[in-house]
Amino acid sequence: MRTLDPQSLSQHVDRLYRAAWALCGSREDAEDLVQETFARVLSRPRVLQGGGELYYLLRVLRNTYLTGVRTASRRPVTVATPDDVVAVDPRPTLRPDSALEVSEVYSTIAELPEDFRLALVAVDMLGLSYREAARALDVREATLTTRLFRARKQIATLLIDSAPATPVPATRREGTKLSGVLSSGETP
Amino acid sequence: MSERRPHTESELIEFVRSIDVRAPEELHRRIDALVEQSAATPRRSFAGRSMGLAPRRWRLGGALAAVAAAALVLALALTGKGSSPLTLRQASALTLAPAIMVAPGEDSQRPTQLNAAVDGVSFPYWGYRFGWHASGARSDRIGGRAVRTVFYSDARGQRIGYAIVAGTPAPALSGGVVSVQGGVAYRFLAQDGSHSVAWLRNGHLCVLAGRGVSNAALLALASWDGRGSAAT
Repeated sequence: MRTLDPQSLSQHVDRLYRAAWALCGSREDAEDLVQETFARVLSRPRVLQGGGELYYLLRVLRNTYLTGVRTASRRPVTVATPDDVVAVDPRPTLRPDSALEVSEVYSTIAELPEDFRLALVAVDMLGLSYREAARALDVREATLTTRLFRARKQIATLLIDSAPATPVPATRREGTKLSGVLSSGETP
Repeated sequence: MSERRPHTESELIEFVRSIDVRAPEELHRRIDALVEQSAATPRRSFAGRSMGLAPRRWRLGGALAAVAAAALVLALALTGKGSSPLTLRQASALTLAPAIMVAPGEDSQRPTQLNAAVDGVSFPYWGYRFGWHASGARSDRIGGRAVRTVFYSDARGQRIGYAIVAGTPAPALSGGVVSVQGGVAYRFLAQDGSHSVAWLRNGHLCVLAGRGVSNAALLALASWDGRGSAAT
């Protein structure tokens, strides 16, 4: 058992940011989530009872994220914005032979069911061991293994097998954008 | 970015593991500031501290915290004010924090206000006039004062936070640039890519801040009282 050294936490910002991005599917939300996570952790002295700093940070990140999700679900639905509508199609390319973009990968992970997403983030993005990840996510190691297996299968299916061959016509994308703007309810 | 798309699941997982996107510099700076703030704050119950076993940096941090606390006590004594040491920076930080509560609705009796207030000082309804709609809220307590914040979003997805600090007299502020409009002093502060403006309404400190929103836009919102004139 040892106390958490705040000065050593800065080294985990990048990794936590990537994890948050994959959880939220948005860079802006990821920034907020990471900042809130660190604010919580640093609000008072913390004791690490087994597990490393990343394990602890993941626990707080997950709790902060889930709290935010629950709060958001109680919020009135916010209007669509032009930026939101553009983000509906986050894949920068629709050609299977072209390079895979980070944003495409993270957007795909963000579409996974929550439990699968957390398992993938814990093991494949934060690099925790199965045991640490299971403890951080409050599940049995066998459960984590199953979720991770399914998460990997699902993103592989989405990013490898089903690479779309037909690009979305420009007119259709414009139409989507336009309808989003119109539905934003700018007129009071 | 990879040179080509992965062809197998294992290649894909390797790609996921190899991603090394760096967090924005602004986020790094904000986290560093949180860490520094944490180090400068007197902390309780750190194991080993009372036995002189704290790491060197903690001992240094403790000394700095003691100096900071002494300076604060001296400053309060010199100004003769016993008000809370809430700073504009702290209040501004709240306006950039995530919302944790549902946004208040429009006041059915007073269409220029929301159904939320601090000590009778209401949050404005800007949806009709400016296109900023309340999107969330949070309540905090800093320096012994309750701070309520309402977040507004516009059609472009930008977000600003409006915080009202409970209690009078309002905490004394320093720093930034002061501009007087319509008899009201507005104090502008820019930090970490965000702009803040602070002013008093009925003796209560109000802070409005956001990223990517100009001082002029903040001033237009802050000074609006429902009739187009400056708030008091």
